[in-house]
Amino acid sequence: MREFLTGNQAVVRGAVRAGCNFFAGYPITPASSILSDMVSAFADGTGVAIQTEDEIAAIGQCIGAAMAGAKALTASSGPGLSLYSENIGLAQMGEVPLVIVNCQRMGPATGGATATGEGDVLFARHVTAGGYPLPVLAATDASSAYWLTYEAFNIAERLRTPVIVLLSKDISLTRQTADLNAIPLSPRADRLVASPTATYQPYKIAHSADTPLFLPIGGSRQVRFTGSIHDENAVLTADREKIARKLTHLRDKILSRSESLAYVEADCEADASALIISYGLADGASRDAVKELRANSIAVSHLTLYSLWPVPERAIAEALSSRIDRVLVPEYNIGLYADELRRVIRKVPVESIQRFDGGLISPQVIVDHITRFGSQKAQTKAVCTCPS
Amino acid sequence: MSILTAKRTDMCYCPGCSHGMVLEQLGEALDGIGVPPTGVCIVSDIGCIGTADRYFSCHTFHGLHGRSITYAEGIKRANPELLVIVLIGDGGCGIGTAHLVHAARRRADIKVIVCNNFNFGMTGGQHSPTTPLDTRTSTTPLGALDQPLDLCRTVAVSGAAHAARYDAFDPDIVTSIKHALSVPGFVLLDIWELCTAYFVPANKLNRSSLDAFSTQLGMPFGLIHEGTKPSKATSSGSARPVRRAPADAGDAPAISAIPWPHRREICTAGSAGQRVRSAVGIIGDIAVAGGLFAAQQDDFPITVRRGFSISNLIVSGEPILYTGLDSPDLVLILSSDGLNRFGPLSGLDASCLVVAAAELPIADAVAPVCAIDLKTLEKQAGKESVSLAALTYALVKAGFIVPALLQAAAGAVLSGAYRQSNLDAIAAGIAMADNHSPAACKSPQ
Repeated sequence: MREFLTGNQAVVRGAVRAGCNFFAGYPITPASSILSDMVSAFADGTGVAIQTEDEIAAIGQCIGAAMAGAKALTASSGPGLSLYSENIGLAQMGEVPLVIVNCQRMGPATGGATATGEGDVLFARHVTAGGYPLPVLAATDASSAYWLTYEAFNIAERLRTPVIVLLSKDISLTRQTADLNAIPLSPRADRLVASPTATYQPYKIAHSADTPLFLPIGGSRQVRFTGSIHDENAVLTADREKIARKLTHLRDKILSRSESLAYVEADCEADASALIISYGLADGASRDAVKELRANSIAVSHLTLYSLWPVPERAIAEALSSRIDRVLVPEYNIGLYADELRRVIRKVPVESIQRFDGGLISPQVIVDHITRFGSQKAQTKAVCTCPS
Repeated sequence: MSILTAKRTDMCYCPGCSHGMVLEQLGEALDGIGVPPTGVCIVSDIGCIGTADRYFSCHTFHGLHGRSITYAEGIKRANPELLVIVLIGDGGCGIGTAHLVHAARRRADIKVIVCNNFNFGMTGGQHSPTTPLDTRTSTTPLGALDQPLDLCRTVAVSGAAHAARYDAFDPDIVTSIKHALSVPGFVLLDIWELCTAYFVPANKLNRSSLDAFSTQLGMPFGLIHEGTKPSKATSSGSARPVRRAPADAGDAPAISAIPWPHRREICTAGSAGQRVRSAVGIIGDIAVAGGLFAAQQDDFPITVRRGFSISNLIVSGEPILYTGLDSPDLVLILSSDGLNRFGPLSGLDASCLVVAAAELPIADAVAPVCAIDLKTLEKQAGKESVSLAALTYALVKAGFIVPALLQAAAGAVLSGAYRQSNLDAIAAGIAMADNHSPAACKSPQ
């Protein structure tokens, strides 16, 4: 059945569907309705939802609850993500399954509380000290806000990592038509648990990219947790070998799974010379632009990125067929992700379409950009073929 | 075997530091109350006392500076059976003051033990929020000027169940700790200690100096407060639920498909209090139930009861990908707030229909304009529902929807307390569209 719901409502539904049973948050536009709807969702005692004194306490309570076995969610906007920063580092170091929804808004600081913007796409990746990776997903509409939130829990559980899901004001608060129950979902994944009979080593792994087996704080076996650099027993260590092993593991656990973490949708045409790569709010306009271009017999390829980090490099390479001589990236910031794509796409120019005044990028802007400004033929041909 | 697995002499603390002594007292108290190690979680954070978790055989959680209270509260909410103890320093109580106060307010069932040695021992003896007046630290070389924080009274007035202050040399402290751990609700023990690395040498202190501080600061030792019982908020959120969100969509009401022209963009611009967003949402709900696709995007100031309220609705037979409204097909202006926010009407195509409250000065439109008498509609539909009535009028006038189908669909879809008044409003809008004199609509020049 189709419903008429906001992206924030879809987040709540996705979280509940994934088995989320703990929420802590602090009110902030445009994320507040996630907090109030989670309070309502858990009114029947199926979970705990609490409004805390600030975002630091919100994520702190989520981390504590997650290590006691809960599936935890917190949601905020850019100013709140700033306050989450230190504890996202703790969740990385301590390997805490945790989903963080960031309903982005315009500009730095208070910015435009009720205006749209997607300027946190690099901040989400580099949100905490140390530089270690974490998965970042980006919703394009209410439907994808639903299934990405669900998948974020699966990723968080499987890899024991914080996962950030990005929305923006015009996805969070715009009501859209969606049939959530018809969206195919992968099986629900719970964290892998250790045998409670053995002596438990909280961070024991056989291979660098493995996820350590979980036992909850409060269970029948002693569990240690620490945000300091530690060995497999969660005891502080100064042993360089153990330090290197732990930190390499934090890198490998995420980056070795770049492909399985890559949620993308490719809509390519064999004779296209332009490839639009879109994510977030600009995706809807990109799809409309593609329709219009094709209606006017202009071949064009389109790649939607639902995963921003790790960068879905293989999917991007596959979409860059030999005929593609330009890549267009519409986004609601100063061209942040286009810059990242320039790192990945070296053989053809990456053109940035930007809007950051709170208004929307219309399909016509993208159409005009493609039709008015023909690009130089690329000097070097890409070798990958576009999947049909 | 004790829950404390290390001897004081094997701990990392400086000679004469009180931390090891307090850990022994805590271990003895925990052993004494007979709780198994797996029934306890010690949560620590940063500072010398933050290294203590390793000396205990219970569950341990070592987190970030001043945030131990937040982790402890999360752990306790997820596992209400667990005895959750926070070991924190006076520095942690400064950077985490908000958490300390609000956890007490929430009556979180956690036991906070503050190892208070009046300065930052781990980073070089800087002043902390409890540094006594006139004492020297590396950042108050001429003596501290700031009023020291009275931790016990702070949490006592904030909802704590138990707040007490002891010096680490108190011969009865183990009994006191045992009692404190057994009190339900938020408990704080402010245990005064000696930092032999910095604060003692900088101020030439000894054990009796703690008594002198107590007198000087008016912060007596012993039980300061015993009172507030824990609330239900211990294991569930403190916010009281008002309604239950649907876990999943229920069955669709029986409704036949609503015919609709291709994508139509409708802007409704009015004022706060006119229930603009709710009126547009009702039409969106009906459209979606009728097999159409809809998108609703609202624009309003952050103070929701004042100023403009604009709601954009797109309805289409096809999925709506781009949700922006660039060339409206129908513009409904309900107030001067709405008109001002919408801006000049001169940019609208001649194919757009403008419907505006009769009293508004609409001079610049190229598009045809219909003036509606909101006062009359208000009499028929009621003040609460005038926007829905006007929107219905506009949709019918624009020829987007067959009135009888709209009415039937509304009858099937609408529910809740406002069902009848909304149905009445839709009926009033349709009636007005039927009866409206053509002279009220002005075609383009």
